[in-house]
Amino acid sequence: MSGRLHKLVDWLDNRTGIRGLLHEALYERVPGGARWRYVWGSTLVVAFATQLITGTFLWMAYSPSAQTAWESVFTIQFEMTGGWLLRGIHHYMAHAMVFLLLIHFAQVVWDGAYRAPRELNFVVGLVLLQIVLGLSLTGYLLPWDQKGYWATTVGTNLASQAPLVGPEIKKLAIGGSDYGHHTLTRFFALHAGVLPGLLIALLAVHLALFRRHGLHAKEPVTRPDATFWPDQLLKDSVAALGVLAVVLVFAVWSKGAELSAPADPAHPFNAARPEWYFLFLFQFLKWFPGELEVWGAFVIPAAVFCLLFLMPWIGRGRKGHLVNVGILVFLIGSIALLTAQAVHDDNFALWHKRTEANASRYDASRAFLDAKREAELEADRIIALARSAEKIPPTGALAMAAADPFLQGPKLFAQHCAGCHTHEISKYYAFQVGVDPQVFRRSAHNFGINMVDIVNPDPTAPNLWGVGNRGWMQAFLNPHHVADLDHLGYQNSPFADGDMVSFIKDSLGEELTDEEREAVENAFLLISDALWLEAGALKLHPDARSEFEERAKRGRELITGGLAEVLSSGTSCTDCHKFHDAGELGSAPDLTGYMSREWLTEFIHNPAAPRFYGENNDRMPAFAPHADPRLNQLDDESLRLIVDWLRGDWVVPGAEINPPGE
Amino acid sequence: MLATIVAGTLNLLTPLAVGLASFFSPLFKKAPQSRVRLALLDQVPDDGLPRSFPVVTDRVDAWTKYPSQQVGSVYLIRQPGSGQPTALTAKCPHAGCFISYKPGDDLFRCPCHTSAFKLDGTRSRGDQDVAPRDMDRLEVEIRKRTTPAGEEVAEVWIEFVDFQTGHKEAKPSA
Repeated sequence: MSGRLHKLVDWLDNRTGIRGLLHEALYERVPGGARWRYVWGSTLVVAFATQLITGTFLWMAYSPSAQTAWESVFTIQFEMTGGWLLRGIHHYMAHAMVFLLLIHFAQVVWDGAYRAPRELNFVVGLVLLQIVLGLSLTGYLLPWDQKGYWATTVGTNLASQAPLVGPEIKKLAIGGSDYGHHTLTRFFALHAGVLPGLLIALLAVHLALFRRHGLHAKEPVTRPDATFWPDQLLKDSVAALGVLAVVLVFAVWSKGAELSAPADPAHPFNAARPEWYFLFLFQFLKWFPGELEVWGAFVIPAAVFCLLFLMPWIGRGRKGHLVNVGILVFLIGSIALLTAQAVHDDNFALWHKRTEANASRYDASRAFLDAKREAELEADRIIALARSAEKIPPTGALAMAAADPFLQGPKLFAQHCAGCHTHEISKYYAFQVGVDPQVFRRSAHNFGINMVDIVNPDPTAPNLWGVGNRGWMQAFLNPHHVADLDHLGYQNSPFADGDMVSFIKDSLGEELTDEEREAVENAFLLISDALWLEAGALKLHPDARSEFEERAKRGRELITGGLAEVLSSGTSCTDCHKFHDAGELGSAPDLTGYMSREWLTEFIHNPAAPRFYGENNDRMPAFAPHADPRLNQLDDESLRLIVDWLRGDWVVPGAEINPPGE
Repeated sequence: MLATIVAGTLNLLTPLAVGLASFFSPLFKKAPQSRVRLALLDQVPDDGLPRSFPVVTDRVDAWTKYPSQQVGSVYLIRQPGSGQPTALTAKCPHAGCFISYKPGDDLFRCPCHTSAFKLDGTRSRGDQDVAPRDMDRLEVEIRKRTTPAGEEVAEVWIEFVDFQTGHKEAKPSA
């Protein structure tokens, strides 16, 4: 050390006593020399330091409120440089801490390191363990996603069953009678302020007491004593580096930490589960029916913790120590068993075939897996929307999701339409894709293709898949399809042998020469293109539009009379239908803007209106015939969502224009 | 000596007491309860099968008012010939998950801890079930309204109450 540096240290030492402090920190006696088995406490300290550092930086980007929590975590995960890794490290290091705590605790009990004079330090350690569990519990909620929200709901509802003051505790924890802004502000204050503060204070006590009593050496000590610096510190650092490496592998492998869909108080997440280290408690609760639950949730866990706190006194003698080891083995064994059982129950349907005997277990697992998958798909879509040029509106991501036809359409269709209609990708248009259909479906929203099947096995109305598409128009002008189950030939349809069906069939009757047939077919194709453009031709690439404009123009001429010259019957569309200025209302639906958003919306409002089926309307109810929305079955927003979903009209992330073709 | 202790304690207790008062403020607030229009009676077929309806009402969260938000779900069941459906709240009396019903099933099932209820809301395994009580019933009121065209429509209104979970008796979580 150079003279000048020496002088500086002297100066500092005079004023702070730093040499003594350093000496005390580094030259702690390690009986029997450095050993790998002494590293666990230090790895925990380093893990906690990691949480403080990553947590502080997360704090700088996090905003605790019901409208900004998910949104800010989304920004950390997807928009900030390295944000995903920051989250990933914080997330997996939290898991690592629980795991390391278990090792640390098991080792202390196994070695009997709680014996006098270390009893108090053991007690402090147990409190530290509870603080760490409290940190995990509070941290799980902060992203305000479905997973954390519903798991916390279950947790706090359980807390409300605590004897006497349960409901009050729950109210104080969540900051009101419902989950919301104040739940987040409170959980965040606990997670980033109160609990870490307590942890630091108690950790200081824990370390001070540890130093006071010295390291509990594993007998027999065969090698000479050494000091903490340098060998033990090296071993500790290497072990902590190992922990960090494992955490990094997990964080990189899972691209940060999962962010599920934004918390939605109205739509439960049926796959809500606590983190893996609480799964055993979750499973344990299934054993306690009804009001006995208080035993599973409070009495027994509290009793177990009391037992743990008493371990130093139980274990004073040799027999007592064996009892403690027995308790330890029993606890770890039960936790492992319950955890395995919970995982097995949830994944039962993946690992077993459904039989009569296991039906209810299988179904429960199937429902869990389906809900999980559904939630993942939903999260994908919302994240894609938030990442698109649309961004998140000021009302938040949940409002954005609620206004998205791709997400809401299927639910609304199932609720309001699927009683009669089905929505199945028609077999005529089914195509072979070289990828797993599930995977394809996952990304299908990116192309604006409606790939969701909502199957009514016994439909009494047309299959609404592809409404407004080119194929839809062509099917109505095709003698083989117009009267099939998907179109006008649905069950008990009065239209199955009606004027439209016979018109189409007659127009392409068997007596036609090949030349005539080709002319008719060609005319029908031009008409269907004209109608396709009436509907908006959503999937039409702008570059291709001019070509179709040309065809549609000819199609329009055919609709308004031109067709009469092609057909032997001498009729054309406007003889029955109205089309812009041509034709009259009264005998068939208006073809002006047929299947456009406006047309379809008005149609669902009231299909029996003169513009549509009038007196000929079959069974379809009027969903919103009244000006006063309270009198209607469907509100305008739901109706819009259904229409846009049917038409495949939703925000396509990452695409300014739709890809060509359909 | 005493004066020092009193002064020192007061120094710390005053901010703590004020802080605690605001911390405890949720205890002094009542949970809102409201009558909510759920559906038109025509939307509930009288086939004795449960149908799920969203409960839509204004929701206030601290400083934000969300107009017409879905705050819950209710199953309406109308027996053949009956003009009055029964309303069962979808919130599980066990731990507050949403009980689901798949058309065709003969039971309501909770996805969380495997509670199951018969279609009248009673627990399928009685006291053996993890749920401490049957599904919670909500008070139903039928209100008549006349359309401008003179048509009479019946609306189903319910008293939407949020109940505490985990107890044998249904207590509102006021």
